[in-house]
Amino acid sequence: MKIRELTLENFRNYEDQTVEFQDGVNVFIGDNAQGKTNALEAIHMLAVGKSHRTARDPDCIRAGQLRAVVSGAVTVRNSQASLRVELTQGGKRAFVNGLSQAKLSDYVGRFQVVLFAPEDLQLIKGGPAQRRRFIDMELGQTHPSYLYHLGKYQRTLAQRNRLLKQPRVDWDSVAVFDAQLALHGAQVVCRRAQFVRQMRGYAREVYRQISDGRETLDVTYQLSLRTPDTEPASLDLSRVDDVRAWLEEALDHRKDADAAAGHTTVGPHRDDLAFTLADQPVHVFASQGQQRSIALSLRLAEIDFIHAETGDYPVLLLDDVLSELDDHRQRNLVMSMKEKLQTIITTTSLAPFHGMLHREMRLFHVHSGIITG
Amino acid sequence: MWGYPEPITRLIEQFMKLPGIGPKTAARLAFHVLSMPEPDVMQFAQALADVVHRLTECAICCNITEQSPCSICRDAARDDRVLCVVQDPKDVMAMERTHEFNGRYHVLHGAISPMEGIGPNDIRIRELVQRVGTTDIAEVILATNPNVEGEATAMYISRLLKPFPVTVTRIAHGLPVGADLEYADEVTLAKALEGRRQL
Repeated sequence: MKIRELTLENFRNYEDQTVEFQDGVNVFIGDNAQGKTNALEAIHMLAVGKSHRTARDPDCIRAGQLRAVVSGAVTVRNSQASLRVELTQGGKRAFVNGLSQAKLSDYVGRFQVVLFAPEDLQLIKGGPAQRRRFIDMELGQTHPSYLYHLGKYQRTLAQRNRLLKQPRVDWDSVAVFDAQLALHGAQVVCRRAQFVRQMRGYAREVYRQISDGRETLDVTYQLSLRTPDTEPASLDLSRVDDVRAWLEEALDHRKDADAAAGHTTVGPHRDDLAFTLADQPVHVFASQGQQRSIALSLRLAEIDFIHAETGDYPVLLLDDVLSELDDHRQRNLVMSMKEKLQTIITTTSLAPFHGMLHREMRLFHVHSGIITG
Repeated sequence: MWGYPEPITRLIEQFMKLPGIGPKTAARLAFHVLSMPEPDVMQFAQALADVVHRLTECAICCNITEQSPCSICRDAARDDRVLCVVQDPKDVMAMERTHEFNGRYHVLHGAISPMEGIGPNDIRIRELVQRVGTTDIAEVILATNPNVEGEATAMYISRLLKPFPVTVTRIAHGLPVGADLEYADEVTLAKALEGRRQL
């Protein structure tokens, strides 16, 4: 996938701006607070109809304006398409080749991007909820039925938790929600585990490239409950029926704990991703720089995942990440991406691009909401 | 500060009790009532009063009716041995429009939803179990909605009916009739695949 042209109207600090990209590496250079990240945000918006920075779309409308428009020309599997997202205070509309799309879910998935931003470090440093959201976002983009099961699971969980908050818990009613919770929960667990198994190989390879093969990264999906009596020692996470039976058993086993806590204490809403580097848990042992490299590896692994799922490479957006890596890792990263991908990078310095030929990258200067090529 | 005369204010407040009606729509409706001919307004008021005074719940199936037992329960041509359990009176209408079902109904008036404070005792489950226990029913079809609450309700009922000599079935979900496979979404197709049967 490629983006050939991007037009911003009243988006963030841009009034009216058109940019033409080239196939390989595109670099936005400029000082802080000039609009580099805003341009990446717009491309992200064009791909998934949402900002990566705010849940409130009107935040993206230029001050004093009623409407922001992001539009672009993209190439997906050798065919051209024009995409357009219009934001107003009241809502948003998305268009493909000039045709308005009734639902945002009809719009997303056509043109895919992978964005790495400084806040992605939270994937390693932050809580399990952030890691689960990462998986949910990825699977949601490639497998719509995953969102169906996740939605059902969350709804059922909310119903069950409400029952657990009663002073005297009605276990007959809880039981009828348990069956559904286990049914949808097993689907969620198995799809997540499958996703992590796929990502594991990709992330390991990317990490090996960035770190010159000095360390081995491992990523595993970790079930929430690890007490001896429910420890799923031989549970195979690729067998939905087994996971379902285990979940049903675990829910039953945790009855008293759940009633005491007033909520459900076992299930995919408590699961996590576990990272190890040379067999040591990352959150305890890894340095800042290593943690950054792991977060980056995870994002870059998405590229291979999307390629495996769709047969096409996404566009890679890197927001100010080079400054966070040492020279060696920077060079490895820049070299590894120019081959197969269209990449759009923001940076405050050109140092990492030393050694790259001028024709290999296109440079854009960003200064107070104006981009010059 | 100038306010609306008291009767108008009261009418606006009444409209605001309806679902989906906010203060502005309520005011618009209230002023529309003001501009209607008096006989129309009286008919409107009468219609409102009638739903309260002239409707009751059928003593057998719990559907809303003017006369208990309702016309379906009184219909001797219907099959007593098949019972279709639905959430709402509107669902009975939907089933009846098919002209395919000739059994009896039982209306639950809702589904189990702890988040909305609706438990098994707040809907007509007790009446259903009693009915199954005292009459000669061979099959109970659970036609609650295919969402979390509807499924939970269906499961709750099926557990309660275990001791009785009845077959409990659940309506199928899947492809809408007349739809092309290529236009069906993944989830619907997966459901349809799950409920496949041998030819």
